[in-house]
Amino acid sequence: METLNHILNGFSVCMQPINLWYTFVGVFIGTIIGVLPGIGPSAGIALLIPVTYGMNPTSALIMMCGIYYGTKYGGSTTAILIRTPGEAASVMTSLDGYAMAQKGRAGAALAVSAIGSFIAGTIGVVALTLFALPLASMALKFGPAEYFCLMLFAMTAVSSLTGKSPAKGMLATILGLMIATIGIDLQSGQPRYTMGIAEFQDGVGFIVVVVGLFAVAEVLRGLEQVHKGTAPPMIKISGSLWLTKEEWQRSIGPIWRGGIIGFVIGVLPGAGGTIASIMSYTTEKRLSKHPEEFGKGAIEGVAGPEAANNSDTAGALVPLLTLGVPGGGATAVLMGAFIMYGIQPGPLLFEKRPDLVWGLVDSMYIGNVMLLILNLPLVGLFVRLLYIPVAILYPLIVAISVIGTYAINGSMLDLYMILFFGIVGYVFDKVDIPVAPLVLSLVLGGIMEQSFRQAMTISGADPSIFVKSGISVTLIALSLISIALPIIMPKLKAMKAADDED
Amino acid sequence: MLTDKIIFVATLVLAAVYFYATSQIPSLEIGDPLGPKAFPRLLGIGLLITAGVLLFEILRARKAPPPPVDPAAEKEDPPHWPLLGSVVAWTAVYFAVFTTLGFIISTSLYLLGMTMWFHRGHWKMNVLTSVLFSAGSYYMFTQLLGVTLAQGVLPF
Repeated sequence: METLNHILNGFSVCMQPINLWYTFVGVFIGTIIGVLPGIGPSAGIALLIPVTYGMNPTSALIMMCGIYYGTKYGGSTTAILIRTPGEAASVMTSLDGYAMAQKGRAGAALAVSAIGSFIAGTIGVVALTLFALPLASMALKFGPAEYFCLMLFAMTAVSSLTGKSPAKGMLATILGLMIATIGIDLQSGQPRYTMGIAEFQDGVGFIVVVVGLFAVAEVLRGLEQVHKGTAPPMIKISGSLWLTKEEWQRSIGPIWRGGIIGFVIGVLPGAGGTIASIMSYTTEKRLSKHPEEFGKGAIEGVAGPEAANNSDTAGALVPLLTLGVPGGGATAVLMGAFIMYGIQPGPLLFEKRPDLVWGLVDSMYIGNVMLLILNLPLVGLFVRLLYIPVAILYPLIVAISVIGTYAINGSMLDLYMILFFGIVGYVFDKVDIPVAPLVLSLVLGGIMEQSFRQAMTISGADPSIFVKSGISVTLIALSLISIALPIIMPKLKAMKAADDED
Repeated sequence: MLTDKIIFVATLVLAAVYFYATSQIPSLEIGDPLGPKAFPRLLGIGLLITAGVLLFEILRARKAPPPPVDPAAEKEDPPHWPLLGSVVAWTAVYFAVFTTLGFIISTSLYLLGMTMWFHRGHWKMNVLTSVLFSAGSYYMFTQLLGVTLAQGVLPF
């Protein structure tokens, strides 16, 4: 009953005119970010943090979350019209969405994508509402040792599931943790790895790292493409922005299944929207009576993956809000935003600030309705953004990054740092080192070290504390499995293939 | 393969540098049995393990048969170093004059240089975009949102 009261109270928070306005601003900016190349949800959220310092944290976080799930809607528009996913999770949508557009059914592809996103987004938020509190109650039993193991699991899962090589994922994770150790050690007061630079005593700001790795690096990659002249042609929206009865009947099943797949994958650390949409696509192809149509404009191939990558966002908020441990790059940036507003996400947040948590969760119901309106009748407005020449857009992104970064401390060093991390992100992309694990471990690094040292202080420097509780042991086992899985899976597949041949 | 070997060597070098830098941290272990060096040491060990896994991956790739060539697959996309170097240098110049010239002038010049290079033949649009964006965003952020940006030589 108390929970229901909190949920209803959450609606009274998010229905306040100021919060409705920021929900709208968030989903609007999110859609723009999703449509435009060069700036994703991570950089978008990071750049807005300094601008929103003076705001009420609830309104600011409602807006940041709006950007996060809004990008998923916008990302599909470019995937369908120019076969370039506006954000990574829309990659599967580009296969059949673009093929539908080529056949003159761009309107239907955009419609099923928006409706699918809305239904699945809402499924995701309902599931988030139902599962958040039980998980948060369970997490209250966690001590420092359990928290350390939980963060270890999140990091190993993200590092081994993101990118092509588990070793490179591990490298990115450790680099993030190393960057997190720069600055004054809070427990001993000793400076670490500051290289005599006074500004490093406060550590390397995560905004600087995120803007460099996600925005500046993307600009460098994009300008390279402009220089090489490799950009696909755009298809104008054609056909009705609504579905025929047959298209609707073919879409509804994939939307529901995609919604459930997306939520479950979203809750797990590491997997993320891209894997959710791939899983949904392969599921639909397997279940379809016409698998040969996939890749040639099958509406199920748009409906399922779009649904999956939208409910994934709600799923991804479950571990962030209930455990205080994000499971991917964008949620790590969101966690950074929480911390910068002086709010520590986790189980205690549900007790201390139910207005904030439930106001945020409930705002997602309203945000999804707003997104449906923005992305269906008003989709033409956003499509016009695609006419902005990317050769102009990319330099503008650098200027926006400068505003967002300089606004934090007015520090010139921060500007050079975004350039440095931009080069790092560009080079990492070329050599297949994923950056999401780096951002995750950078955000979690400080808390992870604190948990580690607290646990060791409690045990009198006896490391067996990390294997004394069932929760810790389970989490360590899951960490080991997530490291071993990418190494074992190819071998198992090869053995199965050999058995099949015999 | 060559890049993987370079990453492997770089990881070992980084681990060595990090261990050395960790040993230089002064330790005052009062009320904290581990001190500020323990967690970094774990990270150094983690780097060495990563180097080991990298080596394993390199050796495994050498043993594995070469993958079939797929003509539809995306071609390798090597970095365009001269282009990257020029963009980075121009951006560094932008940052170097940022506080002296101020946001509006330095950003206008930066955007103008970039658009004239990458968006050739549209000089009117490039000039308009560069100046209007710089002035407009300066006004919006400093006056409406209360964000501080470098004023530079201009009186406002």
